[in-house]
Amino acid sequence: MFNSVKELVETSERENLPVSEIMIRDEMERYGEEREQVWDRMAKNLDTMDAAVVKGSTDKGVFSQTGLTGGEAALLRDYRKNKVSLSGDVMMEAVQAAIATNEVNASMGVICATPTAGSSGTLPGVLAALKRRLELPREGQIRFLFAAGAFGMVVANNAMIAGATGGCQAEVGSASAMGAAAAVEAAGGDANMSAEAFAIAMSNLLGLVCDPVAGLVELPCVKRNAIGAGNALIAADIALAGGTNKIPADEVIVAMRQVGKNLPASLRETGIGGLAGTPTGEGFRRTIFGK
Amino acid sequence: MSQNYKSVFDIIGPVMIGPSSSHTAGAVAIGRAANSIIGGPPDKAVIRYYESFAQTHKGHGTDYAIVSGLLGFEPDDSRVPQAVDIARGQGIDIRFVEEQGDSPIKHPNTAILEMTKDGRQVTVSGCSIGGGTIEIRRIQADGFDIQPGGLLPFLLVEEPGTGQTCEDEVKPIADKLASLGVLGGCSECCDEERGKTMYAFDLDKPLTAQTVKDFASHSSRISYIS
Repeated sequence: MFNSVKELVETSERENLPVSEIMIRDEMERYGEEREQVWDRMAKNLDTMDAAVVKGSTDKGVFSQTGLTGGEAALLRDYRKNKVSLSGDVMMEAVQAAIATNEVNASMGVICATPTAGSSGTLPGVLAALKRRLELPREGQIRFLFAAGAFGMVVANNAMIAGATGGCQAEVGSASAMGAAAAVEAAGGDANMSAEAFAIAMSNLLGLVCDPVAGLVELPCVKRNAIGAGNALIAADIALAGGTNKIPADEVIVAMRQVGKNLPASLRETGIGGLAGTPTGEGFRRTIFGK
Repeated sequence: MSQNYKSVFDIIGPVMIGPSSSHTAGAVAIGRAANSIIGGPPDKAVIRYYESFAQTHKGHGTDYAIVSGLLGFEPDDSRVPQAVDIARGQGIDIRFVEEQGDSPIKHPNTAILEMTKDGRQVTVSGCSIGGGTIEIRRIQADGFDIQPGGLLPFLLVEEPGTGQTCEDEVKPIADKLASLGVLGGCSECCDEERGKTMYAFDLDKPLTAQTVKDFASHSSRISYIS
């Protein structure tokens, strides 16, 4: 078991193993399982993610019962086909996959929580870009999830991953940092670069509040996953280029925890403050729940 | 640093019906734990929400999620969104209460389930700590009031009160768990008047189906909460 990003990097360097492999071996040892069992279970999670991306991107897409979200992954698909996007098509593919996943989530479809349902689109978004850009094979995609999980475990045990305890920085922030670190491994970077990418991505989203309109995992959750995926790719690129965060990953995690603790309850998944508390946000709540 | 999250699948997973891992998948898990403790779907359940659960249970599908768990559904069962109607259709009396005060078990995502089944009353206090992972922090049943370590899995044992000392009655169970290398910790609640004790054994790893079966044949008042 590794308790910090530092331990994870040191283990990787000492044993000359990628982070994904450290995670796989830890899981096998802890639960006394064969490699195949652990691997297949992650492969099924990947299948769930892929199915959600397809579902949200097909025809007109999916819509939530409230009508607050839905159909924008399909809009992005058409936009990519018919126009030249400003951010480039790889980035837009990531954005489309992230939004598709969270639209499926908001419509009570099946998703894989990574680390949470509210942040379930971020990793599939990053994966979509890696598949396209690196032609990452299925094995590499599964490894990506193990590497992301290893970093996520450190955050979950040293800070938090629930919006109710830490705000959206703990959900999309954590997912984005996990995705950045795992993307570096997929691109051939070492564990130290992964740690830098993680630290950069999380630093960028520090302080992000959890302010779901009407208490629903729709506004602004769906689009925040697009930003989570984009931020992960940017952070991974900075780290792969040799850029560093200066503040080490483990200290960024502690900072995230402190910021989370200092957030008022109104900005921790209560549907009271932030965008939920705007006149329009309050209006949606009244229309949907009558109070 | 805590060790609340032990498996990579606590982070990458669960596969679930949306929209929220803490308020939906975690709520299914709290309901499933309550179902295991009382031994099946209850006849009646009053579900009391606190803090974030009280504010957002409608939007996050917490109602149908908890009831899904009470019915024994998995978090990705397609019947999850219809669970409240399904339960009421089976004649189960269900009420939801939004409590104003702080959580009695000190977590913003708290649900307290007051259940009745075959005349027996059981209250389970659970909280959802994020990503679908939960803790059961308090169980009140059969005159006992016990506070387990919280994390799943754990084994709840009500010793039969055959006149032997508490230790003698549960020692074989504790020994077996220790020999399997899964025994984490143990909480107990002793009722001296009746000479009976309830134990909660915290487990480091899940038990195999066969081990659970062996324990079940040992005593009827033993539940595996996973």
